[in-house]
Order: sequence, then C-alpha cells, then structure tokens
Amino acid sequence: MDFILASVIDGLLLGFVYGVAAMGLTLIWGVMNVINLSHGPIIALGMFGVYLIFGAFSLNPYVAILIVAVLGLVLGVAIYYVAVQRVINAPHLSTLLATFSVNMIIIGLGTAIFSASPRNVEFSLGSLTLGPITLLGTRVVAAFAAMLVAGALYLFLYRTRYGRYIRAVANNRDAAELMGVPSNRILALSFGLGTMLAAIAGGLIATFFPFTILAGGAYELKSFVIGVLGGLGNPIGALFGGLILGVLEGIIPTFMPTTWVPVVEFLLFVLILLVRPQGLFGAKS
Amino acid sequence: MAVLEIRNVTSGYGEVQILWGVDISLEEGKLTSLVGANGAGKTTTMRTVMGLLKPWGGSIWFNGQDVSKLPANAMAEMGVVLVPEGRQLFTDMSVEENLIMGASPKRARDLVDTNLERVYTMFPRLKERRVQKSGTLSGGEQQMLAVARGIMANPIVLMIDELSLGLAPVLVLDLFETLRELKQTGLTMMLVEQNVQMALAVSDNAYVLAQGKVELQGPSRELARNEHVRSAYLGL
Ligand SMILES: Nc1ncnc2c1ncn2[C@@H]1O[C@H](COP(=O)(O)OP(=O)(O)OP(=O)(O)O)[C@@H](O)[C@H]1O
Ligand SMILES: [Mg+2]
Repeated sequence: MDFILASVIDGLLLGFVYGVAAMGLTLIWGVMNVINLSHGPIIALGMFGVYLIFGAFSLNPYVAILIVAVLGLVLGVAIYYVAVQRVINAPHLSTLLATFSVNMIIIGLGTAIFSASPRNVEFSLGSLTLGPITLLGTRVVAAFAAMLVAGALYLFLYRTRYGRYIRAVANNRDAAELMGVPSNRILALSFGLGTMLAAIAGGLIATFFPFTILAGGAYELKSFVIGVLGGLGNPIGALFGGLILGVLEGIIPTFMPTTWVPVVEFLLFVLILLVRPQGLFGAKS
Repeated sequence: MAVLEIRNVTSGYGEVQILWGVDISLEEGKLTSLVGANGAGKTTTMRTVMGLLKPWGGSIWFNGQDVSKLPANAMAEMGVVLVPEGRQLFTDMSVEENLIMGASPKRARDLVDTNLERVYTMFPRLKERRVQKSGTLSGGEQQMLAVARGIMANPIVLMIDELSLGLAPVLVLDLFETLRELKQTGLTMMLVEQNVQMALAVSDNAYVLAQGKVELQGPSRELARNEHVRSAYLGL
C-alpha cells in the first residue's frame, strides 16, 4: 500500500512538470490553431540548455532554468517569424510541415553537436522522507517550480494587458486587429511563450532524468495526450491533465510491466477523443 | 474640413474588383450615410478604409496624412475605428472585457474608466450584464456592445456597418438616439444602415453607392427628396 502511495505522489510531482510542457503545446494550439511538431526538440533543448549552463558556469540549475526560459522565449519568437508566420493562414498540413522542419533541423544539428549519448545534470538535493515515503528532492522542487510557472501563466493571461491581447487574438483575430492590437506580434509572443514553457519543462526534467537530444519526443507525445485530456487550447486544463497522466504513470507499473505505460496512455488518448473530444475540462469550441 | 478622405479608391477580393474609383469625404463633426443595395460595396469600402483590405489604387487621407497603406491596427491607433458588420465580439470574454479590449489603442487607455462610465450610462443593459460572456448576449445586446466597444476606442472617426440589422424597432430608435448624442460630442461618423429613411433623417451628408461607384451624393435632406433615391432605396 505504502508502495502505491509513494508511486502516486511521485507520479503527481512529475505530473506538474508534464503539465507545464503540455501547457506550451496547448497554448500555441489554442491561440493560432498550430500543432507545434517542434515541441519535443525544444523540450530537449531546454534539457541541454540547463546541462550546458550548469556545466560551463556551475550555476545552480534552477538559475540556469531562468536563463533557458528567456532563451526559449526568444527561440520561439524567431521560429514564429521564420517558419510559422508565412503559413499561418494556410491549411493545417502547411503548419505541420513547417514545424516538423524545425523539428528535423533541431534534431539534426543537436545530434551532430551532442551525439546521441545520454547526458545528465550532476546535481542532487538529497531526498525527503515522510513516514514510509521517500521523495527525491529535485522532483519536489520541480513540482513546486511547475506550480509557480502555471500560476504565473494564469496571472499573465488573465491579469495583464498582453495576456488579454493573447486571449482576444485567440478568440477573434480580425476583431483584435480592429481594436488596434498588432495581431501578428501577439501570435509571435504566444508562440514564444509556448516554447518557453516547453524549454522550462525540459530544464526541470533534466534535474532528475538522464536525456539525449531525442528525449523530447516522448514528452511531446505525453503533451498531446495531456492536451487532449485537458481540452486542447485550454492551458489550465493541461495542468490537470498532466497530473492525471503523472498519477497513471506512477500507478501502472505497480500492476503491470512498465512497457505498458505508453499503451495505456494512448488507449486513454483514443478513448477521450471518442467519448469526450472537448477534453475533461472543456476547451474552446 | 474633411477629416477623412477617400480618393478614387479601387479595391476588391482576389481577382474580383468591387470598388471602381470611390470618392468620399467625411467632414469634421458630421454624420455621413453610405447608402446602397446589397452587394453595392459598402462593407468593402469600410474594410478598405480600415486597412483590412489593401486599396488597389487611389488613396485614403486622414487628417492630411496618407494612410492608404496602414494596417487595421495602426488605423485604430490613429483613431479610425470600425464597428464591423456581424459584430465580431470576443465571444469568450465578458461584456466588460470586450469593452476594455475596445480601449486598447494608446489614445484610449488612460480614458478607460471615464469611457466605461460613459457607455454604461448610454447602455444600462450592458452594465447589468457586465460579467456575462458576450457570446451569450441577445442579438440586440450584442449590437449595443459592438457600438459601445467602438466608443471605448475614443475614436476621431467612427464607422458603423449595419447599425440596426435584425433589431427590434424600439432598440433601433435607442441606437439612433445614441448616434445623435455621439454627434453632439463632435465625433465624425460614417454610417451604413438598412433603414435608409432613418439613416437619411439622422445624417448630415450621404453617398449612394451602386456597383462599386458613387452614384449620387449630397446633403441627406436633399437626397431624401431625390426621385431616384425615393424609388430605389426608400420604396416610395
Ligand atoms: N470575401 C469576399 N470574397 C469575394 N467577394 C466578396 C467578399 N466579400 C464581399 N464580396 C463581394 O463584394 C461585393 C460587395 O460586397 P459588400 O459586402 O461590400 O456589399 P455591401 O454593400 O456591404 O452589401 P450588404 O448591404 O449586403 O452588406 C459583393 O458582390 C460580394 O459578393
Ligand atoms: Mg455590408
């Protein structure tokens, strides 16, 4: 029993981080109806960013994540202007191909520079023992950091002028233009925020899991499952979707082999799409 | 003096030309009606002025400045505001958030509170429903919100496309009353309105648009007496 409880809590902690990654994916979809297929590689860049900054300057990894966040924002804005902007009004296939190209470029360059051998950030915060349960310090901190990020995103979207612009452009881009909102710049900002969230999630994961430049793929798939769970386009739903997925990942291995985890995840994915395509927590219509 | 001048503007969609050299000038503090059959190009004219469509030829002048190439958001920043056909509300946002979005241009930001009070006095219904999602408002309430949101932008020129489409007669009277109030504040306006009789009664000047060209123009009072206008647009 204690073992299951420990797994559930462990999964929950991880779920917050998954949630942040999925928030990035779903924010971009919600604002501009673009499925960002470079989401995974950007998560991986977040991991490498923390790894490199930590290695080169011996900075605290959490400080490194702040830098990675800024770089993630800038990278996303650049990707938007170079690859996404020109196809933003084209059929979905064009935006899929555009972001997939970015995906291939990052993975190609990343493999050339870093090879495919696993890295890890040599950093530990010890562990936390609560009665029968032992939790890794880095995971506890990552969960709190993820909560902070989610809260900050919420405040940004609902309490600031630019957040209001983002919601307005998501709701009706033409109307936003008529109100004086430079909608293209707002789309660039939204894409940047989406990649920033992906990079932050990657950075947090790097503090407790080893990774390669290809590691983002798995988290990209999780982000899709979570996005659909929480309702694609609904960043707050994505956080809850992340928690559900995290807990499932904690529990499943106590009943069946770990290799079954993705099978169950995708069964869930298909099931949600069939019975509740708007997600558990609703989303944009 | 003309605040906004449309000079020999041609425009259209894709390959299809709709406007064939339109000249319109909006005089300061005056309400100008744009009259014409369905498909005459009234909406196209307003969209082209606003920068939602690029003019193919001709030019658009605002306060002596060539604004032909400016996008819609820049026009709004300058004080040219469109209340579009079909309302185009932010349906996921509350009534008040829609109004605050209306005040996005820099020139309107500091006046949010004053203007909120102003539009809530004009439309008490909106005040009662300020937290309701705009998508769930009735048609009439949505139209009030669309007009109110335009006022929130603190416009110098306000263009309204289809003021009363689909509204109950009482509400139409209310909205025309609002137009009169706005005129008294010195606002320059351009109005497209299905009810031509009322439009001509409330406006100072009018233009009749047919097949993308200005067919007739003049003081509204004179056009209301014009034989052609009476038979073609007033059904008299
Ligand atoms: N997006 C578009 N693509 C192609 N043609 C269009 C488009 N929008 C309008 N048109 C055409 O342009 C012409 C003028 O349309 P416009 O909307 O300007 O007319 P209007 O005078 O506003 O009419 P109404 O009184 O019905 O609103 C019409 O023939 C219409 O079919
Ligand atoms: Mg029209």
